Amino acid sequence: MIAPTESAPARVAVVAKKEIVDIFRDRRTMLVTLVTAIVAGPVLMLLVLNLIARQSDKVRELVLPVVGIERAPALKAFLERQQLSLTPAPENFEAGIRSGELDVVLEVDAAFAEDVAQGKPGTVRLAYDRSRDRARAAIAEVEALLRAFNREWGRGRLILRGIAPEVANPLNVESRDLATPQSSGALVLFLIAFYGLFAAVMGGMAAALDTTAGERERMSLEPLLTTPVGPFELATGKWLAVSLLNATAVLLTLTGFYLTLRFAPLPAVGIPFLFGLAELGRFVVALVPLILLMPAILLYVGCRGRTFKEAQSNLSVLLFAISLLPIVQMFLQRKDPAWLTWIPVSGQYSLLSRALRGEALPWFELLQSYMVPALLTVVALSAVGRLFSRESVLAGK
Amino acid sequence: MIVVENLVKAFGRHREVHAVDGVAFTAPDRAITGLLGPNGAGKTTLLRMLSTLMIPDSGSARIEGHDVVNERFAVRRRIGVLSDARGLYPRLTARENIRYYGALQGLAAAALEARIDELVNALGIADIADRRTQGFSQGERMKVAIARALVHDPQTILLDEPTNGLDIMSTRALRTLLRDLRASGKCLLFSSHVMQEVTALCDSIVILGHGRIVATGTAAELVAQSGESVLEDAFVRLLGSGEGLAA
Repeated sequence: MIAPTESAPARVAVVAKKEIVDIFRDRRTMLVTLVTAIVAGPVLMLLVLNLIARQSDKVRELVLPVVGIERAPALKAFLERQQLSLTPAPENFEAGIRSGELDVVLEVDAAFAEDVAQGKPGTVRLAYDRSRDRARAAIAEVEALLRAFNREWGRGRLILRGIAPEVANPLNVESRDLATPQSSGALVLFLIAFYGLFAAVMGGMAAALDTTAGERERMSLEPLLTTPVGPFELATGKWLAVSLLNATAVLLTLTGFYLTLRFAPLPAVGIPFLFGLAELGRFVVALVPLILLMPAILLYVGCRGRTFKEAQSNLSVLLFAISLLPIVQMFLQRKDPAWLTWIPVSGQYSLLSRALRGEALPWFELLQSYMVPALLTVVALSAVGRLFSRESVLAGK
Repeated sequence: MIVVENLVKAFGRHREVHAVDGVAFTAPDRAITGLLGPNGAGKTTLLRMLSTLMIPDSGSARIEGHDVVNERFAVRRRIGVLSDARGLYPRLTARENIRYYGALQGLAAAALEARIDELVNALGIADIADRRTQGFSQGERMKVAIARALVHDPQTILLDEPTNGLDIMSTRALRTLLRDLRASGKCLLFSSHVMQEVTALCDSIVILGHGRIVATGTAAELVAQSGESVLEDAFVRLLGSGEGLAA
């Protein structure tokens, strides 16, 4: 905290050093930053990955609870040939479905054998709750199997009567599922990009408010402004300190993702992207403008608040708008328009998604995504400096 | 030395609140000048203009020959301010709080550390110097704030209600310190709404009321001027009413 000479850069360095010591001693800020950065993101990702894994496993080893399957031995044999394991359903299976214990239950009508013997269609019933996302894959699977059994049975009957099965099936539907494992990983991809952005936006929040609105609330700003430190030097020093914290938060978040994906026992869901050291580096490069811009904006909002609380409520509106951008972008689904690269947050989000797809970041677009944030950083910082030189900043609580 | 000439400062949308309205006085070196006035008389606004935090609407003030508006950074190097707001950084130790201001004043490492030790000993805060200031008592806070204001050994010292919230022991310690500073040739300007405070310390007194100077002089001169025999009655007479003047 010692200035070797008496100059503006020296004073900026003095302010920055003091703020860094101050921030890193603030246990609450550090705890919040660390928890959101390195714990919440990876844990959330593990949960999502496990969810995806369980969904795909469910289809593969479907256990189908059945009632009265012995009345339809041909159906039983067919289902077993399709790798389904049939178990007797519990008596109160409807309650089981409602509570989510069972996905789907097949019930063979008591009169099944009789109806079939008389040439009538035999009745089977499926019980399920379609409103439950997790059950959908199992429901679809069983429905498809029953349709297949129906077709096979019908073909057999037609052939017995000397009719070509094609007569009854004039339409041949061939479907190709173009969904790759990528689509199941899309949510994870979004999550990582979103969390990277989130860290860059939120990482410096508590510290920025503490060093501006907090400084006003503690009544330490007024005496500080009677020292030779200029308002813009003060703004720059504080900005450097908060930016450093913000960069730390981003690095920790990304490292958390890297370590999780690298070492945690992940279920094999075919993650459609890599997150290695190269991607980590590209993330940092893409996020630099936000890492530097957000502290400037946060400082400005903080300066306008006379108290920490006041600044916090002003900030929540801003943060809501910012965090909405990538969500809107994800649901747009269409290809991003080119001008989006210019917009802060949106531009970074699209670059992050590209990095996750393993693409190198194009220099031109990277430069584009730097321009507006750089400009805004300068604007926000000079606005902070102007606020510090205003008499109204002296008005305390 | 502080030379104030016709300082004017008004607030409000239409500048209708005349906080300081044509104030002129001189505060010499090697003296404690007292600014006495009821709450709202304009003492804090006046001191804020002198400490370059506010720009006067008109008039001028010079500290050691430097204009508080045009040469504000030269002024800031020459003044030590103990303002009404004396917030410390709770996560920094007392020593770090003082060091921050010293570094901003451009003091070099060795000289700064020596100066901090000197102040810490002079103010008797050696035992708390390396503790974080969170949880300090009012008196301890005041001492750290004073050390911080004096770290660059300023020639001119501005104090806004320095005894507010202090107990008797701390007040006495402060008085002793201010007298020592006077003896070393400093120019001290001291605002208070407490009459005893001002009469106990000050060489000359400037009485402010509604942003204007009501009277100036030594305690004895003020008594003579008002035609009263007791100082308190003299103040009330000079201000025109006893309203807002705390004893």
